[in-house]
Order: sequence, then C-alpha cells, then structure tokens
Amino acid sequence: MVAVKWQQFMESAFYHDFRRDKIAITSFVIMCIYVVACYAAPLIAPYNPYDPTIIDIMDSEIPPMWLDGGNSRFLLGTDAQGRDLFSTILYGTRISLTIGICAVLLQGVLGISLGLISGYFGGRVDSFLMRLADIQLSFSTLMVAIIFLAVFQALFGTELYERLAILMLILVIGIAEWPQYARTVRASVLAEKKKEYVDAVRVVGLRPVRIMFRHILPNTLSPILVISTVQVANAIVSEAALSFLGLGMPVSKPSLGSLINSGFEFIFSGSWWITIIPGIVLIVLVLVMNLLGDFLRDVLNPKLYKN
Amino acid sequence: MRKEDLVALRDVSFTLDKGERLGIVGESGAGKSVAAFSILNLISKPGYISGGEIRFDGKDLTRLSLQEMSEIRGNRISMIFQDPMMTLNPVLTIGTQMTEALHAHQQISKEEARQRAIDSLAEVHIPSAATRIDQYPHELSGGMRQRVVIAIALITKPPLIIADEPTTALDVTIQAEIMDLLMELCNSSGVGLILITHDLGVISQMTERAIVMYAGRIVEEGDTKDIINNARHPYTHGLMGALPQKTTPGQRLNQIKGGMPPLNEIPKGCAFNPRCPLVDDICRTTRPDYTTMGSTRVACHKALSEES
Amino acid sequence: MSQPALVGVHDLYKEFPIHGGLLEQLSFENGRLIRKRESVKAISGVDLEVIKGESLCVVGESGCGKSTLARVIMGLIRPSQGEVTYDQKRIDDLSMGDMLPYRRKMQMIFQNPYASLNPRMTVQQTLEEPIRFHNPDLSNSEIKDIVVSVTKSVGVDPSWSSRYPHEFSGGQRQRISIARALAVDPEFIVADEPISALDVSIQAQVLNLLMDAREQRDLTFLFITHDLAVVEHFGSRVAVMYLGTLCELAPTRKLFSVPRHPYTQALLSAIPKLNQDSSEYIKLKGEVPTPVNLPRGCVFHSRCIHTNERCTREVPEIKVYDDTSIACHAVEEGRI
Repeated sequence: MVAVKWQQFMESAFYHDFRRDKIAITSFVIMCIYVVACYAAPLIAPYNPYDPTIIDIMDSEIPPMWLDGGNSRFLLGTDAQGRDLFSTILYGTRISLTIGICAVLLQGVLGISLGLISGYFGGRVDSFLMRLADIQLSFSTLMVAIIFLAVFQALFGTELYERLAILMLILVIGIAEWPQYARTVRASVLAEKKKEYVDAVRVVGLRPVRIMFRHILPNTLSPILVISTVQVANAIVSEAALSFLGLGMPVSKPSLGSLINSGFEFIFSGSWWITIIPGIVLIVLVLVMNLLGDFLRDVLNPKLYKN
Repeated sequence: MRKEDLVALRDVSFTLDKGERLGIVGESGAGKSVAAFSILNLISKPGYISGGEIRFDGKDLTRLSLQEMSEIRGNRISMIFQDPMMTLNPVLTIGTQMTEALHAHQQISKEEARQRAIDSLAEVHIPSAATRIDQYPHELSGGMRQRVVIAIALITKPPLIIADEPTTALDVTIQAEIMDLLMELCNSSGVGLILITHDLGVISQMTERAIVMYAGRIVEEGDTKDIINNARHPYTHGLMGALPQKTTPGQRLNQIKGGMPPLNEIPKGCAFNPRCPLVDDICRTTRPDYTTMGSTRVACHKALSEES
Repeated sequence: MSQPALVGVHDLYKEFPIHGGLLEQLSFENGRLIRKRESVKAISGVDLEVIKGESLCVVGESGCGKSTLARVIMGLIRPSQGEVTYDQKRIDDLSMGDMLPYRRKMQMIFQNPYASLNPRMTVQQTLEEPIRFHNPDLSNSEIKDIVVSVTKSVGVDPSWSSRYPHEFSGGQRQRISIARALAVDPEFIVADEPISALDVSIQAQVLNLLMDAREQRDLTFLFITHDLAVVEHFGSRVAVMYLGTLCELAPTRKLFSVPRHPYTQALLSAIPKLNQDSSEYIKLKGEVPTPVNLPRGCVFHSRCIHTNERCTREVPEIKVYDDTSIACHAVEEGRI
C-alpha cells in the first residue's frame, strides 16, 4: 500500500513540478537541514547552553573563529554570557520552530473547525463567527500578545512566566491568528458546498459532521496547506518580535528572537555577531518557508498555470 | 512537428465558397473548435500550426504578420462564441464595445459609429436599440446578449462568420430565435458561415454542407442532407442512430460502444476502429484515405453504400 | 389514475430570499424609509403525483423551477409552503433521523458528472459509503460483493474501482454516479438532467443504461430535463413547467401528438428537427419575465399569442381533460 502511494506520488504532477523548480528544491533542502539540525541539537551541538556549569563568563564575547581573536572551540563565537553561539542558535531555532509549528497547529484546529461550521451552516452562525473574526483581525496580533503577556507577567511574576513561556507564546500566537484559517476554510467550504457530490451524500442521509469532515474538509486541504507554510513563518516572526521586546523567551532559554535581542546592546561595542548571525538564521528560515508556500500555491492552484 | 507533441488535428482540409453555410459537427475532443480557431490563428500557446495553409480571399493566413492578421480578425472574419458573457466585457456598455470594433478597423466619426451600432442592434431585432445601446451586458437576458454578440460580429460587415456553439448555452425557444436570426442575416447579406456544433438538429436546419470530425480528423464531408439521411461513415451513421429522434419512442437507442479516445491514445489505423461495428483487419493497420461517394467524401475502408 | 401515488407534491411553493440583512432591505423612496424584501419565486403552486412504476418527466427551460422541484422532493431544501409525500406519508417536515428510512428508498442522479463525485475518494469508497451507512450489519466482504455487482451492472469494470474519479471519462463518471444511486437498492429515483452534460453517443449509452435499470429493478423515475427528444423516449408522462408553475401534464404520446397548452406548443415547435430546411416555429413575444416579479394572472400571458384580458388578471387553475391536465384559460374557453 505504501509502495503504491509512493509510486503514485512519484508520478504525480506535484512531484513533476517540484523537480523542475530549482528554488523549491533548494528551499526544501534548506528547510530539511534546519529541521534535522535543530531537533538533533543535543547530538550536534558541541555544548549544552542550558547547563550553567559549563558556561564560563571568561569566554564571553569571543568572535567567530575565522576572525581575529577567534577561538577554535567556538565555531561562531560566544555571546555576552560566554555561551557557544552555534549551540545556542541550534537550541534557539528548535524553540522558535516548535513554537511556530505548535501555534499554527492550534490556529489550524480552531480556524478549520470554526471555518467549516461557519461555511457549512451559514446564516446566523456564519455571521456571528465571521464578525468575531473581523473584530479579532482588527487588533494586530502583536498588540494583543503584548497586552496579554505583559498583564500575565505583572499578575503572576516573571518567575512563573519564564517557566510557562513556551506554552504562553503558543497559546497567544495560536489564538490571535485563527481567523486566517477560518476565512480561508470558509471560502473553500462555500465553493465546495455547491458541488453536487455534497448533495449526493446528503441524499444518502449522512450527518452534517461527517459530511463536513469526511467529504468537504479533504477538498479544502490545498489552500490550508498553502497558508500553513506561510503561517508557520509568520508565527516564528511574531515570536521573535515578542522575544525581542522582552515578552518572549527568557534569556536563560533563548529563542532566535531573544538571542537577537540579547546581542542588540553589544552591536555597537563591536560584538555584532551575537545579533547578526541569529538574525541571518531567522531571515533564511522565514524566507525559505515563504518560498515553499509560494511554490505550493502555484502548484495547487489550477487557475495559476505558469506559461 | 516535434516529438512528444500531441496532434490535435491531422490532415484537415476543406473549402468554403462565398456566402456558403458550412457546419462542423463532432463530439467533445473531436477537434472541431481547434479547426475553427486555427483559421484565425487563435490557438493558445503552446499549441501551434505545424503544417498546411489556410487561404482566405487568396491570402495564406498562416503567413500573415500580427498586424495583417488583426486586420482580418473581427473585420473580415468575425467570431461568435458559446457563452456571450465570455465575449462581452461586463464593465463596458454595449455601445462602447460595438463602436470599439468599428474604430479599430475604420476611420469613422463617433456619431457615425454610434449610428452604425444602433442600426446593427436593430438588424438583430433588439427592440428600442437606441436605449439598449447604453446598457451593460448584465442588464440583458441570455438571448438578448447573444443577439448583441451577433450584432458586434456583423457590425464591420464581414464576408465570413465563425460561430462556435452559438446556441448551446440557450434554451430551446431562444435557440430557435437565434438560429432563425442567423439564417435571416446570412440570406439577406450573403455572409458565409462556419457553424461549429455538436447538435445534429441545428446543423441540419442551418447549413448546406457539413463536416463530421472524429479524433482530429474529418471522417465525412458532404451535403448536409446526404450526411443526415445517408451517412456513409459508420461513426456518422452511429451518431445519427443514437439520436432519440431516430428511434421509436420507448425503444433502446442504438448506441456506439466506448468513447472518443484522448489525443495521446489515438489508435493506429482508423481512429474509430475500436468502436466500429464493421471493423476489419485493414482498419486496425491502415489509415483510410478519402473516397468520394456521390456528394460526400468519406475516410473509411468500409464506407456504407446507398442501400445499407 | 386509480393507482395511489408513490410520491406526491401538493400545493408546493418555494421562494429564495435575495434581499440581504436588515440594513440592505432599507431604502429611501419619496422621502420615506421603506423596507423592501425580495425573493425569487422558484416554484409557485405545483401539484404533482408520481405513480409507482411510471417515469414522469419534468421539462421546462432554465429558471422554470424543475431542478428546485427535484431538490425539494429529495429533501435537500425545505419547501416554503405545501407538502411532499411518499407512500401517502408526509416527508418534508421530518427530522434527519426520521427521514433515514426514506433516504434508502429515494435516490438522486445529478447533472454534472465532474462535480457529483468526491474527487478525493476512490470509486470503491464512494460506492461503499451509502451501502455501509444504510446496512450497518453487513460484513466487509458482503459490501464488497454488492459494490462489484453494482459496478458491473452499470458497465464499469470492477477492477477499476480503486481509481479516483479524475481517471474516468464523463460518461463513465455518470455510470458511477448511477451505480451510487442504485447501490442502496432504491425504488424511486430523481434524475436531474442526467445526460445533458454528455456527448451524443454517450447520451445514448447512459439513457439505455437507465432504461435497463428501470426494467430490471422496477424503478419509478422522476426525470428532469430540458431536452424534449429524450422525454419522448424515456417518459410515460410529461409535465411541462414554466416559471415555477405547471402548464400541462399529459401522457407522453399524447403530449407530443396533440400539445394543447400554448407554451407546450411553442416548446415542441422549437426543437431543431432533422430533415427540415426551414425552421417553422411558433415565435413567442417578448422575454421570459424574472421570477422575482412574476406577472399577474397567468405567468405565460406576456409571451402568449392567445392572451386575452382574463389571462392578465386571473391565474388559470389546472383542469383535467380526459388524461391531460392543463392550466390555461384559452383551452378552458375553447379558444384553442
């Protein structure tokens, strides 16, 4: 069965297009490197940045090894606290990606369910949910997140916040962006609902929940897939922005955003690498995801034939 | 012709006299629209004409420059499409769209163009043409829209109109009106007509000569009456037999087995051989040449004679 | 008509509101705030009975409400007024659960073979679903056997059933669509323009298939179409609809030999005929009125050549003449 599916995939138009698109291949390869490297961080990273016993403050602000004053022990140099920057980036990317993916999963579950309900039932339910989405979208994600996280820190103290930071970020980013999914799903549900195959299963007598999830949902997967890649990138950027503002991951457990932030004060004192290198890592990650999203949109949207 | 290219039309040739009405019949995928679009060189990329010539008034249309071609299109040869909403621009008034064609091809004043447009609308029996001209396409019914499309096609007084399924999207009573109108215009102004349709009834009422296409090739060509009553090719014969009108009510219809092959799977020999009731060994190996039988020209090894 | 009706619609009305929310309904006219509510009157007062074993064809042009009628009967949309009965029992107000036993007996075949099959499900999955749903006690192998026999009966090779719809041609998809309807062994089938999206030679195949199925399974049909030539072939009785009302209902032979309602006459004369040079058809005046603002009186009066003052004022009732029902003042008064 798996072999048959694989065979079908190899012969599909999707794979054919992918093989001809050099940008998509490059993006995909870089994406794979990112994922493997950051989730295998404990195996790859030369140091564990979370272990305070091996950090020596005397090693702080060592430049990358190819610069003057570089040390072969630290490939990309160290940060202000003497942590190996390469290891910290690996662990940080892992946190960024995890938050991004989990937040998008949450967005997806919320947005897809509400979008399906909204599109399938229509009427008052639809109006209510969509107005709710409009209101939610009229606040910027960052503003909601800043208020929420700042209030939480003020109420429960920084200590509890630092322990729950990952969870909080996932929740805030996840809840703030569900309307993106809900709108996309609703639009395709409205298009699919008119098709006769939906009437055909209604004639059979199936229940709405089954029709929605078994019949309509699979036919709306293409747009969901497209926005998912872009949404993960957006979530990572949101997380980085929040961390940069000091509302994200604590310095003891830095994500890419908080790393950039922590190095920012040293940028004019000559230790530019603490900010710039994680910055490049972040930009490349987001760029690659957006390029993959573009590729998916072109391939999965039959109206957009290239040439 | 390059390797791996799909051949949509093969060895298609026909002539049309001045003022003649020719019908091209076939099922979807037969290549009838491609044939008509080729005349105006309107084939969309990556399609291309790999060989042959198209002569109109002595000029080979395949060799014309873009400039010369646009002089022909919409001026000397007009087209009418199936869906009027695809032809008419929804954000422009009918008048603007009609005068546009005139201005593109003739030196003419604004007032004169408008008057010509109104005359043209009246010619296709649109009531109160002078007020209709300032309306938008969505304000008209389907039948009226198709009349406007015909008026636009006629406004430059072309000697030839190509109509691609002009009545397919319309209801029967409206279809009858549009067919009547087209006939009237052809008769009164001597316009030639190439009518592409899948509807044999329409062909039999509208045209003098007919071409039957199958899998990119002309299988039979001749006087419409002979094609309808005296089909020589087993495909034409089967197509006629499949019409409910030709069978006693309540009886099973005579069906042709199978379906039209896709372009990349056209069988060897005669393309119709897997579906043909008269198939023989020669049909599976050799592509039939044309033979003339009475008024018709037919590509079949087993062409039906008068009595069968 | 001594036999009882299998399916009946009584005094059926269906309107689709086209006005938007409250804000969109309000408008200023002559200095006063007016609330306007508009709706498309798809069906206005139709009575129809389908007798067991017959094939009732409903013909009419686009916008006459024939597809809406099919959908109301199948319970896909609820009527605004009136009722639908099956075996003398009212079914249009049933809950989903109470409707289930009828869902098994009534099935529908759709017009567009490219939209009526779920593109993400294999033929096997598409066909298994209704069988499994209505027969929860059947074992997997029993269900598979039914699928094989039903695909064979519509002329599709059962070994292809693991394929997806896009791998089939239009005609084959329509066969699969028919197989899905037949899979639960229904007694009544509504076919909404089942062959109008197909090529001529394929139309003949599918029509033959439907006729075979009708014979073998003793099916009752409600056949919706705009193609009169098909009606003559398939139907035992024909109902002609115009703008949401019934004009004429007659046995097929009779309708084609002596059409009596002026609209039926115009419709029949407009079919393009083989072997006829001149198109002599009854020209209708004017244009089809919109179903938003129906004309007063007889809905056909604005286009009819036999209109008199009464037609513009009074809605004609259905009157029965022998076995034909006609709604026309001119026929009633003996003017035609």
